[in-house]
Amino acid sequence: MGVVFFAIQANAQRTITGKVTDEKGNPIANASVLVKGSTVGTSTSATGIYTISVPASAKALIFSSVDMTSQEVLIGSKTTIDVSLKAEDKVMQEVVVVGYGTQKKSDVTGNIATVKGSAIADKPVPSFDAALAGRAAGVQITTANGVLNNPPVFRIRGTNSINLSSYPLIVIDGVVTYTGDNSQTLAASNVLSNINPSDIESMEILKDAAATAIYGSRAANGVVLITTKKGKRGKARVNYDGWVGFTQPTRIWSMLNAEQYMMIKNEGLSNVGAAPRYLPSYTNDGKLINTNWADVIFRQGVSHSHNLNVAGANEYTSYFFSIGYTNQQGMIRKNDFDRKTIRFNVDHKVNNWMSVGVNSSYANELNEAAINSGSLPGAAFASAGVGRLALSLPPNVGVYNNDGSYNISGNAIGKMNNVEVPTFWNPQPMLDNNYSTTENNRIVGNAYIQIKPTKDITFRTSYGVDYLNTDNKNFYTKLQGDGFSLGGTAFSTLSKDKRWTLTSTLQYDKTFGSHSVNLLLGTEQQRSTFEGFGLTRQTLSDDFFTVIQGGFNTPLTAGLGLGENYLASKFGRINYDFKKKYFISGSVRNDGYSAFAAGKKFGNFYSYSGGWDLSRENFWSKGLSKVLNSFKLRASYGKVGNISGIGNFSSFSFFSSGLYNGGASLAFSQAGNTDLTWETSKKSDIGFTFALFNNLISGEFAFYKNNIDGLLLSVPNAPSTGMPNAVLQNVGSMYNKGVEITLNSTPVKGKRFNWNTSLNISNNTNKVTALAPGVPFITTATSLETPSITRVGYPVGMIYVVETRGVDAATGRRIFVRADGAEILYNHQAPVASRWTYRSNGQVAPAINPGLDQKVWRNTAPKYFGGFDNNFRFDNFEVSALLTYQFDFYVYNGTRATVLDQRFWNSTTEVLTRWQKPGDVTKIPRLVYADNVSNGSAQPISENAQKGDFVKLRSLTLAYNLPASLTSKAGISSMRFYLSGQNLAMITKYQGPDPEVSSNGNSNTSQGVDRNTVGNALTVTVGLSVGF
Amino acid sequence: MKMRKYIYSFSAALVLAAGFSSCVKDKYLNPVSQTALSDATAFDTKPRIDGQVMGIYSGLKSGQLLGGRYFIYNDVRPENFLSNDGNRVTARAAWEFSETSGDNEVNNLWAACYTTINRVNVFLEGMEAKGNAVAGADAGRFNGEARFSRALAYYSLLQFYCRPYWDGNGARPGVPLRLTAIKGGGYNNLKRSTVGEVYQQILADLNYAEQNLLLNNGTAILNTTRAHRNSAIALKVRVYMSMGNYPAAITEANKIVPAAAPFVAATGVPNALSASLASVYSTYTTNESMFSMPFTTVDPPGTQNQLGFYYMPLGVGGANGIFYLNPSGVIADAGWTATDARRSFVITNGGKQWLAKYTNPGPFLDWTPVIRYPEVLLSLAEALVRTNNTVDARAVALLNAVRNRADAATTYTTASFANATALTNAILQERNIEFLGEGIRSIDILRLGLDFPAKSVPGFSVSAVPASSSAYYWPTPSEESRYNALID
Repeated sequence: MGVVFFAIQANAQRTITGKVTDEKGNPIANASVLVKGSTVGTSTSATGIYTISVPASAKALIFSSVDMTSQEVLIGSKTTIDVSLKAEDKVMQEVVVVGYGTQKKSDVTGNIATVKGSAIADKPVPSFDAALAGRAAGVQITTANGVLNNPPVFRIRGTNSINLSSYPLIVIDGVVTYTGDNSQTLAASNVLSNINPSDIESMEILKDAAATAIYGSRAANGVVLITTKKGKRGKARVNYDGWVGFTQPTRIWSMLNAEQYMMIKNEGLSNVGAAPRYLPSYTNDGKLINTNWADVIFRQGVSHSHNLNVAGANEYTSYFFSIGYTNQQGMIRKNDFDRKTIRFNVDHKVNNWMSVGVNSSYANELNEAAINSGSLPGAAFASAGVGRLALSLPPNVGVYNNDGSYNISGNAIGKMNNVEVPTFWNPQPMLDNNYSTTENNRIVGNAYIQIKPTKDITFRTSYGVDYLNTDNKNFYTKLQGDGFSLGGTAFSTLSKDKRWTLTSTLQYDKTFGSHSVNLLLGTEQQRSTFEGFGLTRQTLSDDFFTVIQGGFNTPLTAGLGLGENYLASKFGRINYDFKKKYFISGSVRNDGYSAFAAGKKFGNFYSYSGGWDLSRENFWSKGLSKVLNSFKLRASYGKVGNISGIGNFSSFSFFSSGLYNGGASLAFSQAGNTDLTWETSKKSDIGFTFALFNNLISGEFAFYKNNIDGLLLSVPNAPSTGMPNAVLQNVGSMYNKGVEITLNSTPVKGKRFNWNTSLNISNNTNKVTALAPGVPFITTATSLETPSITRVGYPVGMIYVVETRGVDAATGRRIFVRADGAEILYNHQAPVASRWTYRSNGQVAPAINPGLDQKVWRNTAPKYFGGFDNNFRFDNFEVSALLTYQFDFYVYNGTRATVLDQRFWNSTTEVLTRWQKPGDVTKIPRLVYADNVSNGSAQPISENAQKGDFVKLRSLTLAYNLPASLTSKAGISSMRFYLSGQNLAMITKYQGPDPEVSSNGNSNTSQGVDRNTVGNALTVTVGLSVGF
Repeated sequence: MKMRKYIYSFSAALVLAAGFSSCVKDKYLNPVSQTALSDATAFDTKPRIDGQVMGIYSGLKSGQLLGGRYFIYNDVRPENFLSNDGNRVTARAAWEFSETSGDNEVNNLWAACYTTINRVNVFLEGMEAKGNAVAGADAGRFNGEARFSRALAYYSLLQFYCRPYWDGNGARPGVPLRLTAIKGGGYNNLKRSTVGEVYQQILADLNYAEQNLLLNNGTAILNTTRAHRNSAIALKVRVYMSMGNYPAAITEANKIVPAAAPFVAATGVPNALSASLASVYSTYTTNESMFSMPFTTVDPPGTQNQLGFYYMPLGVGGANGIFYLNPSGVIADAGWTATDARRSFVITNGGKQWLAKYTNPGPFLDWTPVIRYPEVLLSLAEALVRTNNTVDARAVALLNAVRNRADAATTYTTASFANATALTNAILQERNIEFLGEGIRSIDILRLGLDFPAKSVPGFSVSAVPASSSAYYWPTPSEESRYNALID
């Protein structure tokens, strides 16, 4: 009886059990077991055992697990099926994202570097670009300062433009996205931070023409392809990542305390025969007032971040859903970053010839500040710049008066018992009362439909939108600072960036015999519009109001802007290989861009490349392949272009409206260029990839040269021409050439102990070969001084200073060198007409004229840079350390002029080594009160151009993974604790806080300038990752 | 199977159609700016031409020029003001004669003058080509206003960047004379013309202006903010005084100053001394103001350029108290009596004296008085004395007119002056009192070759700067040296 019943049951449903193990026999937990062609499935237990009830019609079971090659097993009549899964051969199977498609890594003939999302996922930085430093050859990232969410200087293979941007093209899930700082307030707002780094699966960095030419007129600076996460086959996985972090300034200048300050400043006065003007002040308890202004301005910030994602896939649908929240405090007080993101990616196979998909994300992000950091482009000499205030405010006055009120006198800090009147602002009332915030609401989404009429032909159309709404607000108190003379002021603007992109491609892939062909044809259109308007109101009606909607006297417009641009393209690519040994590729793109002059809007860009996998050749002997098991040569050449940062209407000449006593005025405001067109870059690349000793060591070499032509230069005008602007003309040329070396190795690969290491070294030489006719050089200002020059025959952005040769030991005066080589000394104490004298004979000499005596000095772009990444694993412990380095470059340390100023500004402790009597050999001249020539303020001096070479421990992480035996008891598949530090230590001779600095942001011509910039922060985080 | 294939090709075609046939939108590829006018249309209508004239005045009105800083530099170099603030970028360097070629003051004033000059040149070229026909009867007047402005810009340059006219009778290097429109690159190189050549151009422009400007612009405001015939004549008087050409100054001044009191211009705008001195600096548009730069809340002088910001005491109305009155300067003159109405412009605050002519609080919208009628009266008086070398009766009458308007108690007669020199000195002193803070004192020192007197603040002293010193005038701006190969 029981047998019959059982038999009937067996016909309707069968139960199959078994064990899933890996190649070594270890059980695989949570592996997915699916009945082929149905949704029936289960997963293995912690010991790898599964039990599944299958319908009678079931023919086969599919076993899969993450990073394992799936296996399909016919059921037949078995009731026990054990399976051993093999790890995916990453190297052979690895797929790389290329422009408009994917390609097997082994088939690629272009130069592409891949960085996995996991490398940057838990880094305490708001945006992914800041975390790329040192991770790929040819990629130079310089984090310019310690202001939160400030776009880093991002260069691929050197500086590729002079007037346009050198920032690479960033593509997210196939759609080109915005870059740059879009803030109109004192906070920084790198728009790339709208993408949650935890959502990124991988980043491909395309460097040579073969890889980038498919992007045509926008590819000259390299292209970064970001791919967001998708669900992986198997049971749905839930992940939580969280961390708490502490941030503080590091390596800040050592400044004088109150006693030293008074002594030094009074010495400067007594040297000119004046009475002391710096006198001590005391608190109520009689203590000497000694204020450490760095403590007033900086803080230890506390940050935390949480990310939760759910992802999964079955045969038809894969999905990835994530939410994230991060709140970060920067090292400057009140500089905060708050972001909420949500993402939903779905791909669905509708039937065997159609699939659809959507990637969508929303971010709400608040960038906050209360005071000018003095570190963003244009702010180096801002009166409220805290980079300078932290250094220059007198230490012998307090933040507050003894009665508790703010120590202010008019629009300046109060002098207390000093006789000299300081004119800098007291930052405390501004920190307490001001706000300056940029709020971004960003929607990025794209949807596609893909149709495969045959298995070789794929049509795909995708439509993407990118909407960025930005709300800029600030309020300046009337107590102190920018709001003082206006009686308090508020500002509020709204701006809308909208973009749509429509891409259609047709792809044909066919392998016949030993030949493989892949053909791509496509069209693309992208339209962007910008609209902005706003309001600023001045003079508070009552001290109570702090918002723009309050009571004010005077309303004025602000933030007005209107613009649009449009790009229309056709492109094609062909890849061919024979026996996977010989590879040939070519691509072509025709772009038309609205910003160029009529008749110059369209251009053609192309590349051709080839590869030869020698290790597959018959002549590659067995013996040789034991040592050099893989060796592939690769070469490419092509022409691409750059349009990044060009204005929407630069080809036109305009008259603009204004007001004259309330009546409409009209004035010549823009001289255009009716020949305006894109910059071209001809890129050559030749290199090889190799692997030694059965993939023990693998690596890549590449030699490249980029010849950039038709550089758009704002050709400078002499002021007496009265021109409203320098005209942008395609006149310059420049090249970058260099070598990139990447070496990867897993020297120790044991069961318990693992060590893998990766080193990349890049060398880049940049040289300008032509500027505009009649213009042998272009100088670039950093607000109030001009320490940068771009000159034919030299790299872009050289330091431009008056040469100085130290201090004359006999007289204690700074030795300046005039253009003709004469050494002249400066004495601020003498009457104006006789301040400059010849060192040789003491005769009066003509003054130094910066326009004539400044000279080209040193390069600012590092000649060598890269990273050295090491990961150690011992049982469940992991240690990873990333070192980044930049060698052979100089930084113009303008801050050193600030901290050696001879007015009431505080000085750095180095001033204690000043010259005091004849014969003293020192770098600091005799202190002469009010002398602002000898320290390098009146004109930049070579004394302040310092070597910037550094090696930095960029990040160090210690992690512990809980053993599977513990976690599986709680139903958790993985749990990881980690302790991590960023910017922990550095070896450098540079005197400022960090030679990785830029007071001018991503400017090409004024790179490498440090003027009153806050240094980078040191951050320590403690985090937890849990996988379910 | 065939059905399937049909579906495939249909959908493929659909996708194809959607993707490929969304052809390039021509209007997107050729956008037109909606926020600025193309240069091809700037002379198409009379309002646009009139707007360009206003645009030229706006160039003069720049805070770097006649909207502020030009006045400040002219007044802090002589003896009447002391520096209360060591910040170089707020005219300290001008005050202590330490300006270097790289300084912003030196570069920005030059640039502001030449921006205005190029606007005029572009205007004149466009008028010649197209605008004169469009402007019809107003063409002469518009061209006159443009050339008046160009003359004023070149005159401003000559007060800072070159030796005075008397040095070699105008033979010393002046400034580059830009007289053609520049709308593109490639025109950087131009050498300096002589001081004399620049003055000749100024006079040529003012003569044209005098012939073509309206006699009366119609309203009190327009007669202050836009040039009229009398403004051109008054500026010519100033120019001839700077050239030391006293007979010519007399000829010009006589066009708008009658033989005897009351001194009211007989033709054109009835320029005269205003009975209420205070109203000159509060309503701004009395007949006494012959040319001023106006400001409104939507159009202020700009941060750190405003006269009120510099001269009012620290904290009063948001001012920064950058310069206070030198106790040994003109305010120490016993002859400037306590009951003189102009003493109300001297206030005391925090133990110091401050100039209170520009009392509007932040954003400091006081109009800047570029040319006032009393200057014509006093220039005429001085020119008469220097030409006739006697205690000229008409000169005394002119001096009295200015003095009595403010101080009814003091009246001069010819007997009050021992000789011509005494009268000349009294006239110069009256100018010093009357135009305190109005950008005239430096001009007087330069044209007479006087020393810029010594002055000092606690802890810092500035020695006198004689006419022979290289600090008497400003160096060539570094930006000009950098890009103009023909200039030093």
